[in-house]
Amino acid sequence: MLIELKDVNKTYFGAQPLHVLKGINLDIDRGEFVSIMGASGSGKSTLLNILGILDNYDSGEYRIDGKLIWDLSEAKAAEYRNKMIGFIFQSYNLIGFKTAVENVELPLFYQGVNRHKRHEMAMEYLDRLGLKDWVGHYPNEMSGGQKQRVAIARALITKPDIILADEPTGALDSKTSVEIMELLKELNERDKLTIIVVTHESGVANYTNKIIHIKDGVIGEIEENRLHDSVTFSSDGALK
Amino acid sequence: MKFDIDRYKEIIDTLARNRSRTLLTGFGIFWGIFMLLIMLGGGDGLKAILRQNFGGFASNTIITGSAPTSKPYGGFKRDRNWLMDNTDIEALKTIIPETDIVTMMDAEWGRQMSYGENTYSGILKGLSYEYAQVETPQMLHGRWINEVDCSQERKVCVLGKRVWENLFPEGDDPTGKYIMVMNTYFQVIGVDARTAGININGSPSQSVVIPYPLMDRLFNKGGKFDIICVTLKPDSDSESAQERIRSLLARRHTIAPDDKKAIMMLDTEKIFSIVDNLFKGVNILVILVGLGTLLAGAIGVSNIMMVTVKERTTEIGIRRAIGATPRMILSQIITESIGLTILAGMFGILFSVLILWGAGTIVSGLPDMDGPISFQISFWTGILVLLLLAALGVLAGLAPALRAMEIKPVDAMRDE
Repeated sequence: MLIELKDVNKTYFGAQPLHVLKGINLDIDRGEFVSIMGASGSGKSTLLNILGILDNYDSGEYRIDGKLIWDLSEAKAAEYRNKMIGFIFQSYNLIGFKTAVENVELPLFYQGVNRHKRHEMAMEYLDRLGLKDWVGHYPNEMSGGQKQRVAIARALITKPDIILADEPTGALDSKTSVEIMELLKELNERDKLTIIVVTHESGVANYTNKIIHIKDGVIGEIEENRLHDSVTFSSDGALK
Repeated sequence: MKFDIDRYKEIIDTLARNRSRTLLTGFGIFWGIFMLLIMLGGGDGLKAILRQNFGGFASNTIITGSAPTSKPYGGFKRDRNWLMDNTDIEALKTIIPETDIVTMMDAEWGRQMSYGENTYSGILKGLSYEYAQVETPQMLHGRWINEVDCSQERKVCVLGKRVWENLFPEGDDPTGKYIMVMNTYFQVIGVDARTAGININGSPSQSVVIPYPLMDRLFNKGGKFDIICVTLKPDSDSESAQERIRSLLARRHTIAPDDKKAIMMLDTEKIFSIVDNLFKGVNILVILVGLGTLLAGAIGVSNIMMVTVKERTTEIGIRRAIGATPRMILSQIITESIGLTILAGMFGILFSVLILWGAGTIVSGLPDMDGPISFQISFWTGILVLLLLAALGVLAGLAPALRAMEIKPVDAMRDE
C-alpha cells in the first residue's frame, strides 16, 4: 500500500474543541485514482492536509510507502512534501511575479537542482501539458485552465508518489473542468500516477475510479467507480 | 545551506519584480546613507576649507607683537610705546632653546605701487628670508627672497597675488620687470599665490615683500620693528615657551610681567587645536545623527518587510508546500533584506559621492580658494559604510524573517 491511515484522529482546540477526524482508516494503493468526497465541514480538507503532510494528527498512524509520518521536523516535512507529494490547489497557488516556467521550476529549486537542468525539465513538462507557447507568461496573463495546467506541471515535475488535488476544478468553468479532469485521468492511466482528488462535486468525483465518502469525520461508503456511472447527469460530460 | 548563484538570482528576481515594494523599502536606507555621507563629506570639506585658510602656516608658530603698555612699571608711565629690535631676536634664539626660527616682520600699509599705468594701493612688507619657514609661500612665478637678497639689501620684491593681478592685468610673468613703490624701483623676482591664511599685518595677497634690511634702511626705522614670529622645534611645549618669551621680552623692555596687553601673543597651535577639536565635535555629531537616520531607515525596512511578509503569506505558504524548509524561507527573507539594504545603500553612496564631487568642484572653482577642496569621503569610509549596511540588513531582516518562518504551508490555502 502506498498510503495507509490507521485510526487517525484530529481535534482542533479552539474556544470550542472540534473533533474533526474521528478515527480515519484508509488505504490507497499505488496507481489509484480516487476522490475524497464530502460536504464542507465533513473533515475532507483536514484529511487532505494530513495526507499532504501540511498538518499533524493527534493519534493513529499515517504511512506513506511504509514510512511513518509522525512528529516530523519542519525541514523533514518539507523534504517529504517536496519529494513525495505534488499539490494541485483550487486557486492554483502560482506565484504571481514568476512566469509559468519559473513557477514549475520552483520545487526543483528547493531540491537544489541546477538551473539549466530544471529549466529544461520545466519546459518539457509544460510542453507535455500543451503550454509550450505560454512558458514566459505570468499567471495573470493566462486563463484559469492554463493556470491549473501550470500548477499540474509544477506538481508533476518532482515525480512525486502522490498527486493531491484540492478541488482542482473549483475555480473553473465546466468545459475547462472537463479538460482538467480528463488530463488527470490520462496522467493516471498513462503514467500510472496515484492521484487523490478532494472535492464536493459529484461530477468531478465521477471521473475517478474510486469514490471515498467522508461525513462528520469518518469514512463512509467507498464506491468502486470503474464504469464512471455513479452520477448520472455527468455521464454526457457536463460537470456543472 | 547552498550558496549557489541560483539563490541570488531568486532574490534579485523577487526584488526586481516587486519594484514598488522594493523602492519603498529601500528608500529609508538610501536616505540614511545619503545623509550620513553628505554630512561626513561636507564636514571634511569644511575642515579642508578652514585648513586651507591656515594652510602653509607652520602649526607651531608663536607671533609676538609690541603694543602700548597698559601698566606703569619700572618708573615708566602706562601707554608707553615700545618696539623690538635685532638684539631681541638674538636673545630669544640663545636663551629659549625650543625656538627654531626667530624672525622679524615689518609692514607699511597703504603704499602706492605702480607698473606703467597700473597702480595699486597695498602693503609693503619687510621680511627676512627665514620667514618662508613660518609661512610657506606658494610661488606662481619666480622665487622668494633669499639670504643674499637680505645681506646685499637688493632692491627686489615678491608680489602678492592681488597686487600682481592689478599691476599686470594681462596675467603675464612679471619676473625681471620693475615696479615702483614710493619713488623706488624694485625688480620683481616672483609672485606668491597665497590668498587666504592667517593674516599677520594684512593679507599676503595684497602685499609686496621686500628684504627686511632694505625696508629698515628705506624707512629709517633704526632696526626697530613691532612683530617677531617664532617657530618652535617639534614636540616642544608651546605653553611654557610662550611664557618664557613673554617674561624675557618684559625684562628686556622693562614691562610689567603681568602686562598682557603690552606683549600680544598668538599661538597658532592653539588655534589649530581649537579648529581640530571643533571638527572632532562636528564629526561626532554627524556620525550620531547619520547613524540615527540610518537606524531609522533600517527600522523602516524592517517595518515594511514585516508588512510584506504578511502580504506574502500565500507566496511563502506555497513555497513551503512545495518543499521550502523554514530555514530556506528565513535565509531568503534575510538575504532579500541584505540585498535590498546594500542595493539602496549603494545608490545612496553613489548619489552622495556624485553630489560631494559636484560640491567639491564648485567650491574649488571659487576665486577665494587656493587649491582644490575635496568634499569626498574616503574609500575606507565607503567600505565601512557598506559593511555597516550588511549588518543593518541582517538586523532589519531578522524580525520579518522570523515571522515568515512561522508561516505554515496550510496558510497558503487558508488565505483565500
